[in-house]
Amino acid sequence: MTNKPDYARYGRRRLIKGAGIAGLAGLAGCVGTGDPGDGGDGGDGSDGSDGGDGMDGEDGGDGSDGGNDMASEIDVWGWDVAARALTITADEYESENDATIAVEEFGRSAMKDRLQTNLLSGSGAPAVSMLESVDGPSFIDTGSVAPLTDEIEEAGVQEDFVSGKWEALTVDGDIYALPWDTGPTAVYYRRSVYGEHDIDPDSIETWEDFIEEGQKLPDDQYMLNLPEGDLSGVWRYQFRQLSGEPFLESGEVNIHNEKSLRVARNIKEIYDADIAANIEGWTSAWFSAYGDATIASLPSAAWMEGTLRDELPDTAGDWGVFKIPALESGGPRASNWGGSNLMIADQVSDEAQARGWDYMEFTLATEEMQLAMYDEYGLFPALETTYDDPVFDEELDFYDGQAARALFAEVAQDAPGYRFTADTPEVSQAIETELQRMINGEQSPEEAVQAAAETVAENTDRDLA
Amino acid sequence: MATSDETDERVGETYRRRARMRVRRTTRQIRRAARPAWDRVRFARQDLTAAVPTLPRVAYLFIAPFFVLFGLFLAFPVAYTLYLSFFEYQGVGEGSLFWIDLGPVYIEIPQIAQLSFVGAGNYLRLLGNDLFWQSMFNTSYILAIQVPLMIGLALALALALNASFMRFKGVFRTAIALPVSANLVAYSTVFLLLFNEQLGFLNYVLSGVGLGPVPWLTSEFWARNTIIAAVTWRWTGYNMIILLAGLQTIPQQLYEAAEIDGANRWEKFRYVTLPQLKPVLLFVVVLSTIGTFKLFAEPYVITGGGPTNATITIVQYIYRQAFVNFNLGYASALTVVFVAVVSVFSILQIKLGGED
Amino acid sequence: MREQQRKDAVWRFLTYAFVITMVVVMMVPLYWMLVAATLPQEQFLQFPPRLIPGTAFLDNFAALQERLDFLRTIRNSVLIAVVYTLLSLVLCSMAGFAFAKYEFKYKEPIFYAILATLVLPIQLLVIPLFLLMAQLEWTNTFRAIILPWAANPIGIFLMRQNMKSIPDALLESARMDGATEFQIFYRIALPTMRSSLAALAIILFLFQWDLFLYPLVILESADMYTIPIGLAQLTGFQRIYYDQIMVAATLAIVPMVVLFLVLQKQFVSGILAGSLKE
Repeated sequence: MTNKPDYARYGRRRLIKGAGIAGLAGLAGCVGTGDPGDGGDGGDGSDGSDGGDGMDGEDGGDGSDGGNDMASEIDVWGWDVAARALTITADEYESENDATIAVEEFGRSAMKDRLQTNLLSGSGAPAVSMLESVDGPSFIDTGSVAPLTDEIEEAGVQEDFVSGKWEALTVDGDIYALPWDTGPTAVYYRRSVYGEHDIDPDSIETWEDFIEEGQKLPDDQYMLNLPEGDLSGVWRYQFRQLSGEPFLESGEVNIHNEKSLRVARNIKEIYDADIAANIEGWTSAWFSAYGDATIASLPSAAWMEGTLRDELPDTAGDWGVFKIPALESGGPRASNWGGSNLMIADQVSDEAQARGWDYMEFTLATEEMQLAMYDEYGLFPALETTYDDPVFDEELDFYDGQAARALFAEVAQDAPGYRFTADTPEVSQAIETELQRMINGEQSPEEAVQAAAETVAENTDRDLA
Repeated sequence: MATSDETDERVGETYRRRARMRVRRTTRQIRRAARPAWDRVRFARQDLTAAVPTLPRVAYLFIAPFFVLFGLFLAFPVAYTLYLSFFEYQGVGEGSLFWIDLGPVYIEIPQIAQLSFVGAGNYLRLLGNDLFWQSMFNTSYILAIQVPLMIGLALALALALNASFMRFKGVFRTAIALPVSANLVAYSTVFLLLFNEQLGFLNYVLSGVGLGPVPWLTSEFWARNTIIAAVTWRWTGYNMIILLAGLQTIPQQLYEAAEIDGANRWEKFRYVTLPQLKPVLLFVVVLSTIGTFKLFAEPYVITGGGPTNATITIVQYIYRQAFVNFNLGYASALTVVFVAVVSVFSILQIKLGGED
Repeated sequence: MREQQRKDAVWRFLTYAFVITMVVVMMVPLYWMLVAATLPQEQFLQFPPRLIPGTAFLDNFAALQERLDFLRTIRNSVLIAVVYTLLSLVLCSMAGFAFAKYEFKYKEPIFYAILATLVLPIQLLVIPLFLLMAQLEWTNTFRAIILPWAANPIGIFLMRQNMKSIPDALLESARMDGATEFQIFYRIALPTMRSSLAALAIILFLFQWDLFLYPLVILESADMYTIPIGLAQLTGFQRIYYDQIMVAATLAIVPMVVLFLVLQKQFVSGILAGSLKE
């Protein structure tokens, strides 16, 4: 910004004149730009950085707590089951500490819209809020998220989490959030359908095998769902499976490389093999297609289990999981889809930040808490040290006795990291558009990834790798 | 109906003359009817009357509240958007950008953003962006079909419900206008269900009569039409209400005069209804045009802008730039261009609508 | 004459057929919504969809009410919309009258300036507007929702268009009788505008009723939520509570129906047709 003039030098009358020029004469007794001078009669005299007085007021006013320099009350935002999971740890935390943790539950997009406005305007954000990995860098780049590098180092917890989580939370060497859950990806399948049509999940090693087995199903049953509208999600988990990175470390767009092309071809092959349904995800039609086994398998993350249990209770016991097929024989079979973290807003007071971190560390870096949230709400812990717990070896009725959690834990540790950036949404939008054109037969996989890369490069002012 | 243009002209002129006479007579009647009321207040307020400002100043007084409220609440956001459009957003800022001291009231606008000046860079960028033009095209396409369709239906319904023989007017009016009160999330969900390709009710019915399943949401062509259908469903009744209110301000005497001259249904519509309704019709056209230009929620929820960006609208594109990609400067430039384009379009409509 | 009568009958039949068809088209999605509100969530997902209402409305309502106090949400929405509508009716009809019936300097540019604000997409002004309200310490208040658009440009435009049809002679005669300009406005002009005011009331009510993003960032505590915000809380990531959304949406229609019924009378006739029985 321009240099801030020292308005204290100007007389009040001068400013009134300025106000008149600004066309605000009727409204303003005194107007200025830049920081109001300290000689002025601005009530608080502080700068705009603590604009979020809405909640700091309560925090700051509590001097009695002074000993530990932590706010006595903070707000925590999350959505859906995640918010409900936080109430478990909040209760536990409150019983051990003299503090109030007010957890607020929102709808997902409602919370994002609101949090973004609050962060961008420097006012009204809660101390702690949920942050999806995919949104990580774009939120961090706004400069409104507090860095946690020192806290994490001091607590010595970095090694305790699965390594693939950190990349999305790190910008310019600083870490801005603590991992919560992770989305190790595998293929869910309906045992009865596979059994009836003689499909052996153990024999499926590559996508080629998967397509071949899928041909055994009758015309009105599908091997999987490949919805237009979420092709970018499919592309990403497979690209990540190959340790693909959308951008080079030096910033160039890299979504037209051999790996990306391999994934695009694979998607096209699945589509052309007529084994895929095309039903928009998370709609009622989608749920009912899985409910009545019109679709036999579902590549998805560990968190899907909770949804299936809730939405399709009649299917419990008929599910199994196997690792996602490799793109070529002997290739990697681990990837990740989704996952969240907790972050602290830079705009809240130091006391609130301190309390926020304390609560965050308790919630996420404590095995007991992570396991409690997993047990109750199916949030698969990113805290690797929990994987030794016997709960992961349990044979689960939902999977007809399969120890599915052990499989997911194995995948979680193997899943490569991913360089999400503030431009990730551009990548998703471009890939989505071009892959749709590809499966509509308008262009080849080569053309699709090339066009997507060019769009991203143009929109983000980057070069092609 | 077989009259030539010239006779049309003459017949029209006759109606207009008669109508004018009717209005004059009507006015005299109103004046007579209203007189006692005025007598009562006249003397009591005579002193005051003298103090009332001359005509133009009253007008300013009448429009002042808009400008006071606008100045207080919207001037800053608008000015800020304009300002931001010349910058690139680089993150949350610190310190103060702008402050107003009114003595007891102190307003300080913190400098919310770190910005770097890019001049007209954002404007040049949008000119060269494919998705911007795509969204402009989508919006124009939807506009060109949806607005005439909806206003045609709304006008027909308003005329039908204004017909003297029509019964149960209140019930019909409420039923047709009710979709507008449906909450967006719910109505979009319902439309998603109705238009679903495999499991939707609409394709279920169509296949029942031997028509193949229509890819309502997955083909570019049909997805646009699905949006058009949804918007038309929700807003037709709303426009009907406005037009109906307009129809009811047309003096009945004009129709009586026309009837005396033996005008048929079409002629009454053509020479009485249409000219009298013109200001309101123009309002509905301008409002619907602006409304459809601002289309956001329906494609956002029903199609998400897809497939292959075939239904992304201009406001949705701006929203995406601001709230998903955090390109606040670029989004502001888009907003400025958007407001300019639509304003010019609306003013043209009003001018071409033959006003004044 | 009989020929004419037959023609009239055909015309009436066609008119009724058209209106009734449209009513059916309009009602089908709403009926669907109502049915969905009465089904348990599992049945909502069935195919082919059920067409006969179920019995779970009260259960769904109880589940909704447990999640958030939806009746309070409706109350908030109604309160905000009613106050807003009444305030805005006054301000809009005053300004509309001035534009329709007075000549003054810069009239046209001023009018087009107001029109331009009608174009402003509210979603895109949310961030600076929120900033302003935070500075005024007006966040989490209803007045922050009601005041910024209280002089609604749509309303000003509509009233201008409608008031143009008031004969100038009518106003002139009142003026000659010594009425003040304000008396002319509310004694002469306003009464002729009953149906237009009713239409405007619907427009204004709905404008406020539909606002989403702006109230979402302004209203912070759950007891202040309006209906669209309440509904947005029901759409999570892993689960969308269709049953509860449909119950909520069905309930949210009730105030609009009441509004239509209240305004029913105003639509019966305009003054020039009605009050001048000879």
